[in-house]
Amino acid sequence: MSARDRILAAIRAARPAPLPPAEAIAAEAAALLDAPESVRPWPVEAVLAAEFVRKASALGTSFDHLPDRAAIPLAVKRYLDTHGLPPALALQPAPALAALDWTDIDTHDVVAPDQTAALGLALWGIAETGSLVIHSGADAPILLSFLPLHHIVVLEERSLLPHLEDYAARMAGQPQPRNAILITGPSGTTDIEGSYVRGAHGPGFLHVLMIGGCGRSRPSSASRTIPRPGCPVIADPTGAHEHDPAIPD
Amino acid sequence: MNAPQQGFKERADAELKNAVLKIAIDRTTGNAERKRAVAVAAFPEFQAARARGRAIKDHVIAHLDHYLEMFERNATAAGATVHWASDDAEARAIITRICLEADAKLVTRAKSMLGEEIGLPHALADAGIERVETDLAEHIIQLAGERPSHIVWPAMHRTREQVAILFKEAHHPPPAADDPATMVQSARRELRAKFLGADVGISGANFLVADTGATCTVTNEGNAELTTTPPRIHIVTAGIEKLVPSTAHAFALLRLLVRSATGGEMTQYTTFHCGPKRPGDADGPEEMHIVLVDNGRTRMLADEFRPMLRCIRCGACMNHCVVYRQIGGHAYGGTYPGPMGAVLTPVLDGLAQSRDLPHACTMNGRCAEVCPVEIPLPTLLRAWRTRSWRERLEPRSVRAALGLWAMVARRPWLYRLGSRIGVRALRLFGRRGWIGSLPLAGGWTAYRDLPRPSGRTFMEQYRAGQAGWAGQTGREARK
Repeated sequence: MSARDRILAAIRAARPAPLPPAEAIAAEAAALLDAPESVRPWPVEAVLAAEFVRKASALGTSFDHLPDRAAIPLAVKRYLDTHGLPPALALQPAPALAALDWTDIDTHDVVAPDQTAALGLALWGIAETGSLVIHSGADAPILLSFLPLHHIVVLEERSLLPHLEDYAARMAGQPQPRNAILITGPSGTTDIEGSYVRGAHGPGFLHVLMIGGCGRSRPSSASRTIPRPGCPVIADPTGAHEHDPAIPD
Repeated sequence: MNAPQQGFKERADAELKNAVLKIAIDRTTGNAERKRAVAVAAFPEFQAARARGRAIKDHVIAHLDHYLEMFERNATAAGATVHWASDDAEARAIITRICLEADAKLVTRAKSMLGEEIGLPHALADAGIERVETDLAEHIIQLAGERPSHIVWPAMHRTREQVAILFKEAHHPPPAADDPATMVQSARRELRAKFLGADVGISGANFLVADTGATCTVTNEGNAELTTTPPRIHIVTAGIEKLVPSTAHAFALLRLLVRSATGGEMTQYTTFHCGPKRPGDADGPEEMHIVLVDNGRTRMLADEFRPMLRCIRCGACMNHCVVYRQIGGHAYGGTYPGPMGAVLTPVLDGLAQSRDLPHACTMNGRCAEVCPVEIPLPTLLRAWRTRSWRERLEPRSVRAALGLWAMVARRPWLYRLGSRIGVRALRLFGRRGWIGSLPLAGGWTAYRDLPRPSGRTFMEQYRAGQAGWAGQTGREARK
């Protein structure tokens, strides 16, 4: 008898009744996700961008707000200059970034073990926690987000999601990448006497370039069902997020 | 396994004399307790979320075979190889075999309590494979040749100065100063080459997601991703109770886990690992192996310790435990310390070896109050005490003393007489309201003082109060 058979047999022996049909188990599991607003924190700000910035800033993430992607190279140069870093950058090998004008910065698509700065794209941002979502892929090496000391991430404001479950819903039934990572602030540790130190193994600095009109927002799915008093919800007039080629859904 | 030779009482005694340890424990657990309280206060839905978290875990435990098979199917479809291990020895054999077949010289490891539980560090050493712990705290205790003393902060028993001595000896070049920031930088520099040069990366899993076949790790340092991405092989070790139906269920538990463990809302890196590198992927391992470990868990499924399978390893119970905060984690002697460890260690090491642990509890119930999945820890500890009594594992002196107490307790007149004498005799040893030492009972007063009793028993005071109360109401009535 294999270990697998032994384990499964022991589990079945411990159950008094036979296993219910798969559909019944699935229905019970789905019911455990009912009324999510009763078991999760509300974003205090119904304007998702404001909530995202508030949450991520509290964890040490810095921000720059840009009108469009064309402004990225200049914003990166500004960041490198401010931190006294050389004008060198590991660039995520994504067409959207390669297409930009990098005249003033020495870019390369290989991440060095002691890389100073790297630039990548986030697929989504989650307002509840201030998290950036990245997926591995042909044009998305995972090490680009972990080897550099300064990690700069481009996030479209229209790719903001209110809650963790909204990301799970986007990915349900979709092909899963090898790695799906929620990055929430720079790397840190409290392992020596509980004192907080940044840059333990991953980046010590996380800088977000937020693309899109400042203050623009869209209604959160949660706010639609139960409006939170005192939080104005402004509809997104453009509806551009419904068909954005950068979001694989 | 790994049970130390010395008894719990001797270890606890030694730790109680260690003043530096007390300071180190207070710093970390005190901080964790305060930050958790703030995080819970900022989340008014916490109690409802806790009930939901418990329901999710209970649902999985009730249908464990269904979810294990679903997970195996989906992980296999994603390209991973799923292995099953009935106990620690089988798990060690599977992992060692994978490493040896890959001709691995260097293995990096991201912190996993299950790896400690199955004795993985020793197994790799015995196989002649170099093992590098990448979590900062695990790196510290690897250099010190110690075991974790806490499930979230394994090196919390070491002060900054003690860490500096270890790093100066092991790091090339040694850290320039002994402040935490300089030492963290030194570890970053030292471990970078190991991450990139490893043949195999081993991680644990905080969740196994049944409907995608992904394993989930949560870290704040980023060491898990640096451990699992560069090597050719990624091995995951996980207990079979780590399953969740879907990613959304994992998020519901994650909200509880992070707040209860560190007082944060979200770990810095929450990562789902689904199979090996895909064709065309820029990086990632060629092979992914997942070892599902039973090691006593199916036994718990069938007995009164079943609720313990809900545990999500947050460490809140030990941060809030008055006993843990006096003696630290090493005194417990098992892989898992504190209240959850006192319940689990008898499952893993046998009750005969660990019967002292369920007794090292004041039954104040704080662990159960803070447990994010509502595990009735004091009830489970009491169940071990009962079992220890039934299996006649209690020493003769304890059996005799309890027998005497039971005899007296069944005779109320004798019990009252005894307590009347007792409270009056105890008063004789009191100084300024406290009793600092007692003849023949040094164990009670060595590390704390007892309040001096009032001199009259509860029953005496109650009767006196009743008489006074009756007189008073009588006067009121006459008015």
